[in-house]
Amino acid sequence: MAGCTRRCKQGLIKFALTLHKLLTGTLSKDNADDDFEMTVVCHRPEGLDKLEAQTNFNKRELQVLYRGFKNECPSGAVNEDTFKQIYSQFFPHGDASTYAHYLFNAFDTGHTGSIKFEDFVTALSILLRGSVTEKLQWTFNLYDINRDGYINKEEMMDIVRAIYDMMGKFTYPVLKTDAPKQHVDAFFQKMDKNRDGVVTLDEFILSCQEDENIMRSLQLFENVI
Amino acid sequence: MAAGVAAWLPFARAAAIGWMPVATTPMPIPPQEKKKTQDGLIILNVSGTKFQTWKTTLERYPDTLLGSTERDFFFHEESNEYFFDRDPDIFRHILNFYRTGKLHYPRQECISAYDEELMFFGIIPEIIGDCCYEEYKDRRRENLDRLQDDEEMDISNEAAPVNLSYREYLWRAFENPHTSTLALVFYYVTGFFIAISVMANVVETVPCGTMPNRSKEVSCGDRYALAFFCLDTACVMIFTFEYLLRLVAAPSRYKFVKSVMSVIDVVAIMPYYIGLVMTDNDQVSGAFVTLRVFRVFRIFKFSRHSAGLRILGYTLKSCASELGFLLFSLTMAIIIFATVMFYAEKGSAHSKFTSIPAAFWYTIVTMTTLGYGDMVPKTIVGKVFGSICSLSGVLVIALPVPVIVSNFSRIYHQSQRAEKRRAQRKTRLARIRAAKIRGTNAYMHFKQNGLLIDSLEEASKKAGQALVGKAASPPFESQHHHLLHCLEKTTNHEFVDEQTFQANCMEISVVNKAGSRSSSLSSSPHNLSSCCSRRHRKKSSFSLPSTNNQELSTIQIRERPLANSRSSLNAKLNETVPLKCNQPYISPSMVSLSAPPVTSSDEDSTTTTAYSQSNIVRVSAL
Repeated sequence: MAGCTRRCKQGLIKFALTLHKLLTGTLSKDNADDDFEMTVVCHRPEGLDKLEAQTNFNKRELQVLYRGFKNECPSGAVNEDTFKQIYSQFFPHGDASTYAHYLFNAFDTGHTGSIKFEDFVTALSILLRGSVTEKLQWTFNLYDINRDGYINKEEMMDIVRAIYDMMGKFTYPVLKTDAPKQHVDAFFQKMDKNRDGVVTLDEFILSCQEDENIMRSLQLFENVI
Repeated sequence: MAAGVAAWLPFARAAAIGWMPVATTPMPIPPQEKKKTQDGLIILNVSGTKFQTWKTTLERYPDTLLGSTERDFFFHEESNEYFFDRDPDIFRHILNFYRTGKLHYPRQECISAYDEELMFFGIIPEIIGDCCYEEYKDRRRENLDRLQDDEEMDISNEAAPVNLSYREYLWRAFENPHTSTLALVFYYVTGFFIAISVMANVVETVPCGTMPNRSKEVSCGDRYALAFFCLDTACVMIFTFEYLLRLVAAPSRYKFVKSVMSVIDVVAIMPYYIGLVMTDNDQVSGAFVTLRVFRVFRIFKFSRHSAGLRILGYTLKSCASELGFLLFSLTMAIIIFATVMFYAEKGSAHSKFTSIPAAFWYTIVTMTTLGYGDMVPKTIVGKVFGSICSLSGVLVIALPVPVIVSNFSRIYHQSQRAEKRRAQRKTRLARIRAAKIRGTNAYMHFKQNGLLIDSLEEASKKAGQALVGKAASPPFESQHHHLLHCLEKTTNHEFVDEQTFQANCMEISVVNKAGSRSSSLSSSPHNLSSCCSRRHRKKSSFSLPSTNNQELSTIQIRERPLANSRSSLNAKLNETVPLKCNQPYISPSMVSLSAPPVTSSDEDSTTTTAYSQSNIVRVSAL
């Protein structure tokens, strides 16, 4: 009953307001809230010299990298959606968003929700100019989704499934639903030395160093820039 | 692919290191790269247009790109200038900001391009000068509206029609009659009946000649009472049925009941039911006759069928304030002039202006320039004021009307734009899809041209030869293709185009039908269904027993070198080069094929059986 009277009163007030508006006419003022969505976050990277000292790139390479970075994200920081969009453009066949999500978390070491140029360049420096151990460490970090120091089967399944998602639907041979699982089993067969169901960093590095294919392929992208 | 994303390709390739430990096969060789020389220019070179300015000018605003150390990233040493790959026309305004301190918005530029440039150079749009600020805000709002419209349309159109419940399907059919033929038929039928009903209401009252045993003329409604009653019943049946269906299908019944259209529906059919219930009592029938007036509301049901009517209604609603103002000013004028006329005409004899309210009628008729002539002033003073009244009436009415008209025009154009966008949506989506397919096809074509060399020893020689021999694809393309090739190697699956994929599915089905080998492998029943009918609900012919599927697929995972030749055959390309290049596929974990069974016909079941047989042999060899 109280709610009813309250609603009646509200209705009456609304009616009176409408009548008032009818009499005075409206020149709709701008709402204050459609101004000032213009609070863009602009991020500026550290100086060229500092970055050169921190990474394994020289000035020219940093310039090239920055121009590309800035072109795609003029605000100076990539958020996850933009990152996914950029990465998906390279893999038009399938759905690259899951793998891009894991990549984003691997790049965003500070867990700030956006990748700035420093994060970007640091990760690239490891991937392209780092030592084998550093590269393997970065990869281990990528696979270890919850950052607990161990890769278990579920995490590996997620990663492998994300990679398979990038292939898309039209593959030859036809993609079966348990292809990722088999892949993960093969991986664990190789990597998990002590058969305890998880792969630690040391097991990972050791097993990779034993595999010639992996070693060779790690050197593949040396001269990407 | 956008050229701007090309700059991120090195990152994508570096990130591919994440796949390496998962891959079980070696990666292909990356394409050769030659060192690019940087070219650049001095001072501020924006896409070729050189701007010169003092350094101090730029440093006036140290929190922007040009005023801070961020511009060092764009310094080009060879030509000793700063090079920016941006739009020179918009850059002109940005540089003017540094010079004059005021940022202007050029009207002919696209709002999003301008916003992007501002963001790139680190300038916040709030500092746009007052002269251009309103224009900027208007354009921005328009753009946001457009984006929101697109989003809403995407959301509403992406609801896959397959998974809707019966109720949702019904509601959708009601709201968009174009979704199914049944809905369209229903739509037209109801429209027809609305028209019939309205016309019947009108014709009912026309005098139809005299009845045989009466002298007075009767209306058609009384003469053919039964016919009109049947017609009315039929129409009300249809309307009631429609209303009940809508009520059942509505996602939120409460909201539906409150909506305007529902109220109109109810008002349109109520008189009939009330008439049924009421007896032929004289007292009540008077009220009942008035109730029949409400039957005319059926004409408003047409607003579901006509967009123009809806726009008119929406315009009136949105111009309610202007209309209210018009009404208010008119009322003021009427009261003033009625009072004046009354006192002016008080003196004259047999004046019709008996009271001020009686003078209202004269004032209204005069102000709207109707001039019926049933009330005219007789005194001179009355005539003077009467003429002033008619002149001012014209003015007062003419003022708010353009506002209403412009409102209507704006809303109408908006709806037209929305219609146009909807019509163009298909072509827009098709364009996007075509671009995607172009990208994927480029890779298939690349593979079939035999530019993929896998063997590690002969790579350098053959790569040099092959790359020189064929028309050199741009380095970005070749790097991108290499990246895709790495992904293929990681997952041990290959990209194929849609036709090949369908052909493969068909083949598997054929093999499954033909070869009835009992498999010891237990396979989940939905393996094959996941492959072929994931999104091909139309192709229901692929419901197959999948006993052999798992076996076949594991085989197919193992045998890989055949892939290229098979896909090339399926695509029916006559190229001898690919077969030659693909022979030396040697990977340590795989047994090389002696002779790939070149089966050009996919429909032949025997050959495919033979093919799968040989595959099985290979598995046991592994």
